[in-house]
Amino acid sequence: MLKVNNIKYKYKNENKENIYNFSLEAKCAEVVGILGASGNGKSTLLDLISGFLSSISGDITYNDQDITDLAPEKRPITILFQNYNLFEHLNVEKNILLGIESKNKQEDIKKTYKILSEIGLKGYEKKIASSLSGGEQQRVALARALLRNKPILLLDEPFTGLDFDTREHMLHLVKTITKTKQICTIMVTHEPNDCKKIANKIYEVKNGKLTLL
Amino acid sequence: MLKQYSRFRGSLIPGLLVSVFLLILAFAIFFTLFDATGANKSTFLTLSPRVIGLLKFTIFQATLSTILSIIIGIILAWSLAHQSRFFARSLLIALFSSSLVLPTIIVVFGLITILGRNGWLNHLSLYLFNHTFEGFLYGLSGILIAHVYLNASYAARALLHSFEAIPKQRYKLAKSLGFSVFKRFILIEWPAIKQSVLSIASVVFLLTFTSFAIVLILGGNPSYNTLEVAIYEAVKLDFDISLALELAFLQLGISVILVFFSSNLKTNISNVKMQSLFIPWAEPLFVRFLQITIIFVSCVFFILPLIAIVFDGINADFIRILKSTIFIKSFSTSVIIASISSIITVVFTLFLSNARRNFALKSRISQSKVGKIIEFMISFSGSLYLAIPSLVLGLGFFLLSQKFIAPHLFWASFALLSANVLMSLPFSISVIYPSMLKTATRYDKLCFSLNISGFKRWIYCEWPFLKESIGYAIALSFCLSLGDLGIISLFGNQDFSTLPWYLYGLMGSYQNNDAAGVALILLGLTLSVFIFVPKIFAKENFVKG
Repeated sequence: MLKVNNIKYKYKNENKENIYNFSLEAKCAEVVGILGASGNGKSTLLDLISGFLSSISGDITYNDQDITDLAPEKRPITILFQNYNLFEHLNVEKNILLGIESKNKQEDIKKTYKILSEIGLKGYEKKIASSLSGGEQQRVALARALLRNKPILLLDEPFTGLDFDTREHMLHLVKTITKTKQICTIMVTHEPNDCKKIANKIYEVKNGKLTLL
Repeated sequence: MLKQYSRFRGSLIPGLLVSVFLLILAFAIFFTLFDATGANKSTFLTLSPRVIGLLKFTIFQATLSTILSIIIGIILAWSLAHQSRFFARSLLIALFSSSLVLPTIIVVFGLITILGRNGWLNHLSLYLFNHTFEGFLYGLSGILIAHVYLNASYAARALLHSFEAIPKQRYKLAKSLGFSVFKRFILIEWPAIKQSVLSIASVVFLLTFTSFAIVLILGGNPSYNTLEVAIYEAVKLDFDISLALELAFLQLGISVILVFFSSNLKTNISNVKMQSLFIPWAEPLFVRFLQITIIFVSCVFFILPLIAIVFDGINADFIRILKSTIFIKSFSTSVIIASISSIITVVFTLFLSNARRNFALKSRISQSKVGKIIEFMISFSGSLYLAIPSLVLGLGFFLLSQKFIAPHLFWASFALLSANVLMSLPFSISVIYPSMLKTATRYDKLCFSLNISGFKRWIYCEWPFLKESIGYAIALSFCLSLGDLGIISLFGNQDFSTLPWYLYGLMGSYQNNDAAGVALILLGLTLSVFIFVPKIFAKENFVKG
């Protein structure tokens, strides 16, 4: 279980000092939705959980192990950002392989082909990332996230801008993966419908605090 | 906090080491200059009438050069921005970009070929009107013409960027409100370019204030000497080190103030490509005629000296020139020094920029007082040498060479190499740092989350996005180093020469035919490197296999 306990973060906005104070819990095989308007600190919360920002107090634990001071690359976390999930000049296969700490390259390539087939991107292995549509790029990023085998998946508005069908497909994929792989998924979005469709519980960010809805 | 520093130590330590090295070197040069003043320290700031005269003329010519360059630069950039579709436009703009790296001695040579006593214009005037312009190129007029040639084209190129960055909607608004061309300029264009004009003007002032080769050759007589030339004459002709030091400190003090006001070099020389301004309605006929005339006259003014170098040069006896031992020595010294210094410059730039960006990004080292001090130190050490004019730097190395005896070849090579690296560094940083920051802003989170670091990050994430800027920075540093006539004027002799120094010698001894050949070789080498090196680095990024 992922626990965020009173994580505090201070920032300046228009010469005014503001403080975020976040607490939440996410169980395995559970999707937690975070709702809120732009600028309310949704992405800051994910940056704190993933280690891109340092908090001034509080702690983050995963299965009772403190991960607050770990560098982002050492946390048991994989993330899907809203954009720039792929290196646009590299092909799909290379983009996926770059995210895997390899022990057996041939095995990794096999897994890459298999996962691409599973998410409906068979035959895309050698395509350059920049030639893919937004939805395809996000699916590749999701495929990589799955192969990384990290127990926590963070989604930072990853489906914004996708067409209705692709969005529905991606949401379904996230829900299924969370269950089958028994991972904790935290999804930040400003779309209440997305949350309603897949989240087991929903928090709202308001005035720098999380409220369970 | 220490944890954050430790996490980024791989990028911090090399940058900090380079930064400390640059600061120590600057201190060593300053200390050497200060120490050499000996017992005169107390009377040092009492300026003699001669020094005041030199200072007045230096400021006067720099002010006039700046005003003329900026006015012509604005008019030309405005014309180019509104005439976005004509034959060879991009070639013309590329030519203006190269003005920053054209060896000044080449420009002077080209101008003499056109406007000198035996120049094309004088011949034409004698033929048509039986009138001679005599030596109007020597003195203030010549200095101004050469400065305008180099700096107006540079200003035009940089300002074109500002014009083209104006949103099209504002032009639509001006059109819908029925603004005249003048009103449009005052209300839409001037506010958008104003900041750049100030920044470019301060850079041009700095460049013309510390101009050396142009004043040395076209100054004509001592009444047209600037501080920079006076330092050279005090060291090489009068052996008056005390006067040289007095001038050097004066020059240094003013340059520091100027650099403080001209900190924004970034937009002026970056290689970032831009969209050309295309407004889908025609300018009024008279305005179009005016813009086309301005572009045509500018083309003639800027291209003619280069054409003159080519025309004069192709008649030279190249076999004799290429067989000459001094030419071979000068050529190889120039190419070797420029190659090594451009590589060192880029390596230093990468180390400094890599360290500096740690403090500019929220996801790296969070802002603290210590962080701000380190960031300032790194940034200051990289741009410090803008404030040290080449002759002052040269004088520092010259005095060091007197203090620590070593073979002349060692000191000359060391001084030339170091000075070229130090002087190219601010330009190289202003090209590479924005690209490095952009790459990190875009891909930092992805790299951190995928644990892509070190060599792997460099290969897959940095190099593909930086190589174009690196190629441009290498070309820029190479050409700046190739064209330098400042340091070599203090260290050059029969045994140690570079191409510009050799050309200066040929011009001084009136070996015009050979000089034309060498000028053509120098021009060809400079333009080839400046055009083709960035192209080599700009190959396609895609990795398919």
